[in-house]
Amino acid sequence: MRKVLTIAGKEIRSYFVSPMAYVVLAFFLGVCGLIFALTVTMTQSEANMAGMFHTMIFITLMMTPVITMGLLSQEQSTGSLELLMTNPIRESEVVIGKYLAALALYMIALVASLEFALIINAFGDPDWMAILSGYIGVTLAGMAFLAIGLFSSALVANQIAAAVLGYLMLLFFWLIGWLDSAVEGVLGTIAKNISILENFQDFAKGIIDSRPIIFFASLIVFALFLSVRALENKRTI
Amino acid sequence: MIRCEGLTKYYGNHRAIADVDIHVSEGEIVGFLGPNAAGKTTAMRILTSFIPPSAGIATVAGHDVVTDSLESRRCIGYLPETASLYRDMRVTQFLRFCAGLRGMGGAETSERMEYVIDTCGLAERADSIIATLSLGYRQRVGLAQALLHDPPVLIFDEPTVGLDPNQIIEVRNLIKSLAEKHTVMLSTHILPEAAMTCERVIIINHGRIIAEDTPEALTAQIREAETVSVTLASPGESVERQLTDMTEVVAVRPQGGGIFHVDTAIGADVRAQIAEFVVGHDWGLLELRPVEMTLEDVFQQLTTEEEGVE
Repeated sequence: MRKVLTIAGKEIRSYFVSPMAYVVLAFFLGVCGLIFALTVTMTQSEANMAGMFHTMIFITLMMTPVITMGLLSQEQSTGSLELLMTNPIRESEVVIGKYLAALALYMIALVASLEFALIINAFGDPDWMAILSGYIGVTLAGMAFLAIGLFSSALVANQIAAAVLGYLMLLFFWLIGWLDSAVEGVLGTIAKNISILENFQDFAKGIIDSRPIIFFASLIVFALFLSVRALENKRTI
Repeated sequence: MIRCEGLTKYYGNHRAIADVDIHVSEGEIVGFLGPNAAGKTTAMRILTSFIPPSAGIATVAGHDVVTDSLESRRCIGYLPETASLYRDMRVTQFLRFCAGLRGMGGAETSERMEYVIDTCGLAERADSIIATLSLGYRQRVGLAQALLHDPPVLIFDEPTVGLDPNQIIEVRNLIKSLAEKHTVMLSTHILPEAAMTCERVIIINHGRIIAEDTPEALTAQIREAETVSVTLASPGESVERQLTDMTEVVAVRPQGGGIFHVDTAIGADVRAQIAEFVVGHDWGLLELRPVEMTLEDVFQQLTTEEEGVE
């Protein structure tokens, strides 16, 4: 556990000594804030955040591959992987440590975004349970995105390629839900059930169901497992 | 402390090393010598569990590097060939990070950090960001992290690459002093380095070990003649013939500029006779010294012979 925290600590430091953390946070809060302001002033909608969560999850999709792209690819391209992996440390400890660092940065963004809920609260009477449920959904989905992004970073040594690969994988899970209306029968049902958007809908509406929780949890564990295997595989060419 | 048997590694169809046997006892300092792409780095990467072997076994301090690699890695301090450090960290941050990876406690970390920073001459630059350090200093940081957890086995891949001559001497002396408490294996393609620092030299070429002995024994093995270099101020035209006519002399090879290399039978020391002979002929003796066969000659001979065999 100490080794995991050592890795996580190093990566979090790295985010904040480079422009990465600031750019990512500014992007997330800036775009969310802009859309929040537009929605509130133009539509005069109810005091809830359902629409806001849809915005947030889309911005999260744009942001997470950037957070994770360098985590494992850079170790490979600079050669520091050799120094790292000749230490008495397991691949799983490296992967989990790096994942926790990415998650920490993401959680900072989410905590900062609570300002939108507070603003709504100041002018209306929102349903806080619905806000909580939405945040659980955004957190879970973001965790899955980060795990997928980390996996793509383990696969290729180039940061940009890792980001693009991450986007491709995320878009697959994002868009596959559309097959539901186009394809009849079992395939359509499968497509609907593994769609990120479908699994996210309930959370945004304020419903906490076990199925989407299990879906996101499985996606996280599976992507992290694949990252560990990909990292092991790098050394057994 | 280090034991390899039948170590073989294939990268696809390319065989990097074949049937490598290495035994290094405790406290020994062994040089791993070979031209570029001979398989030195591959062997060292297997020993440090960075890559698994295709065949054969390797143990470090009694721990198998494949099946018990966490333990074997704990016993090794490794300096990779290109010490790729995290460029955005400060030296002390980086060392603290390494200590964390090795599960060192707080008090131990502080104590050992002070020691390695001092030993590797990093005191002045301890708070510098690694990206701003010169190549020589980065190499020292690499050495410092290898020594940090006081491991019984040290593996250095080309430890003096990129250093200036003074730093090279410092690093060599450091490595020699380490041999008292550690088992050291270092790779190099610089022959005098192996001759100066190592008690035993393993020569590897095309992935196979082709010779293994002390530097002195290796040169003696290959030597076919004793050679004396004679420098004359005013050599006559018949110097070469007249020297060859001396009873103990096998051959005379003029080197130009009044320098002659005189080969004699193994074990013979004819310097006194040559001196007397030269002075007698009034050729103006400027210098007379035995020519040591360098490891370079041995190496060249071994590696070219090997190529001839193939």
